[in-house]
Amino acid sequence: MTGFWPILKRELFALFVTPLAWVVITGFLFIQGLHFYLVMSHYAVSMELGADAGPMQLFFGQTVFLYLPLLLLCPVLTMRLFAEERRSGTIEPLLTAPVTTPAVVFGKYLAVLVVYLAMWLPTLLYVKIVAGAGHVDGQVVAASYLAVIAVGAGYLAIGTMTSALTKSQLSAAILSAVTIIALFILGIGEYVLPEGSGKELCAYLSVWSQMNDFSRGVVDSRRLWLDLTIIVVPLFVTVRAVEAWRQEL
Amino acid sequence: MAMIEVEDLHKRYGPVHALRGISFEVERGVLTGFLGPNGAGKSTTLRILAGFLGATEGRVRVSGFDLSTHRLEAAQKIGYMPETSPLYPEMKIEEYLRFRAELKGVGRSKRTEEVGRACELTRIADRRRMLIRDLSKGYRQRVGLADALLGRPPLLILDEPTAGFDPNQVQQVRALLDALREDHTIFLSTHILSEVEATCEEAVVIHEGRVVASGNIEALRQRKRAGVVEVTFHRGEGELKEAALDTWLTREHAIASARRRRTEGELETWRVTLGPGVDPSAIAALVARLVHAGAGIQAVEPLAASLEEVFADLTGGTPDDDDDDPEDEG
Ligand SMILES: Nc1ncnc2c1ncn2[C@@H]1O[C@H](COP(=O)(O)OP(=O)(O)O)[C@@H](O)[C@H]1O
Ligand SMILES: [Mg+2]
Repeated sequence: MTGFWPILKRELFALFVTPLAWVVITGFLFIQGLHFYLVMSHYAVSMELGADAGPMQLFFGQTVFLYLPLLLLCPVLTMRLFAEERRSGTIEPLLTAPVTTPAVVFGKYLAVLVVYLAMWLPTLLYVKIVAGAGHVDGQVVAASYLAVIAVGAGYLAIGTMTSALTKSQLSAAILSAVTIIALFILGIGEYVLPEGSGKELCAYLSVWSQMNDFSRGVVDSRRLWLDLTIIVVPLFVTVRAVEAWRQEL
Repeated sequence: MAMIEVEDLHKRYGPVHALRGISFEVERGVLTGFLGPNGAGKSTTLRILAGFLGATEGRVRVSGFDLSTHRLEAAQKIGYMPETSPLYPEMKIEEYLRFRAELKGVGRSKRTEEVGRACELTRIADRRRMLIRDLSKGYRQRVGLADALLGRPPLLILDEPTAGFDPNQVQQVRALLDALREDHTIFLSTHILSEVEATCEEAVVIHEGRVVASGNIEALRQRKRAGVVEVTFHRGEGELKEAALDTWLTREHAIASARRRRTEGELETWRVTLGPGVDPSAIAALVARLVHAGAGIQAVEPLAASLEEVFADLTGGTPDDDDDDPEDEG
């Protein structure tokens, strides 16, 4: 992994100094703030939700507000990783330095993952606010964050891959958005397909039901394996793609 | 063991056969020029040497490391400057060079000194806090050069290091190369011949993906251009005194062209080119004819071709060979 640290640091520098990271984080927090407000006002008026559906569960499950920003913001975070380096040619000094291809890929990937985590960090305040007003189930919170991190990490891996497969940031963003929206839509199959293996497959792939499960504090390890697959496979493809450019550029 | 060993290297870009089996070696401690017209395949070769592109066929070793199996070890020996010096616009020069130094494994404690040295050598020390996006082309090039120097790699591979500079700066770069040749093997590409003549000891000349000549610059220069001589004489008092010498000299069919190169007082130097396939004895005949017409011959020199002409011969072009060409006057 020669070169991993400097590449991670430089990517973070680039993300925060070009205001991309700030724009994404601000946009995300704005939407989640709105989301939190809606959850809280909903909770305040409808007490019939019952004890098992606390506000944190409502925040992380049962709502599209949680994913919609991810579907759009993850592609924006990852789009420039490789596409921009290829467009501008900076990939040449980068790949001729004594660095390994996995170090380049993981360094870049981890940088966007750090931004992603930084984007979620302020939402812990909501947990604190809710905790101040009543009881918060620690397991629900932990499982919910585990789920958003695992799912987001997969989306970022897909975005990293599409950035390596295309030459322009725009097509990288579009391609990854289409891919993760397609993954998301597959989950709807759970509700529309007749009983059978197709329905089961869709249920297994559904991010929607993953979030519902985890937001009830239920950690299903099969889901985590799926998430891990969606991280590892695209990153592996990315490494292969970068190595392939050396042959065909 | 040579610093660079290239054996039967081929590179195809889809249908474009950019390198068609090139082989050469670059000895340690020697400044070697890689010369060829645009599109000859220089950048392609250098990119392969630097480990950016893979070869389609053939073997490349840098400092004894085969690039197909030991790219990382080879990369540690190389300071590479790509042709266009692509840089990250959002970084300051210093930030960029520190990043590059770290990437090249320069330890934290040495980084400041190493970046400082590279900036001094390339004369960018006064701009080190400037954003790269605000730099002119010449300065970007210097940052690329400074980058190549970081970590003091034994081999510098520079793709057109003087392109993008004005003549003054070109002199500075040449002076820098001169200073660096003490400690580094340098392999630089250029399409400008005088560049090689001015700085290099050895040259590899390529054309359309093939090596057409290689070796010591002097040896290349000594390749005489067949059938070209310079004759220096004064006209004397005979029939030549008022004659139009260009027509007089080319009156014999053996002589293809004759042009005056220099005049010093009475003495005139004419460059005479024999027609294609003409026996060199025609020169003796010409000298006899001149003497007969009353000329006082001072010198007859077979022309040591300028590298420019050798280059033109090798690459099938025509040399920019006009009378006020400074390369020819020396
Ligand atoms: N990425 C590429 N794709 C297709 N053809 C290329 C590519 N890069 C270079 N070539 C072709 O390969 C040949 C050699 O190019 P290059 O190595 O850049 O030459 P030079 O540096 O000597 O000017 C040219 O015909 C060029 O058009
Ligand atoms: Mg070139």
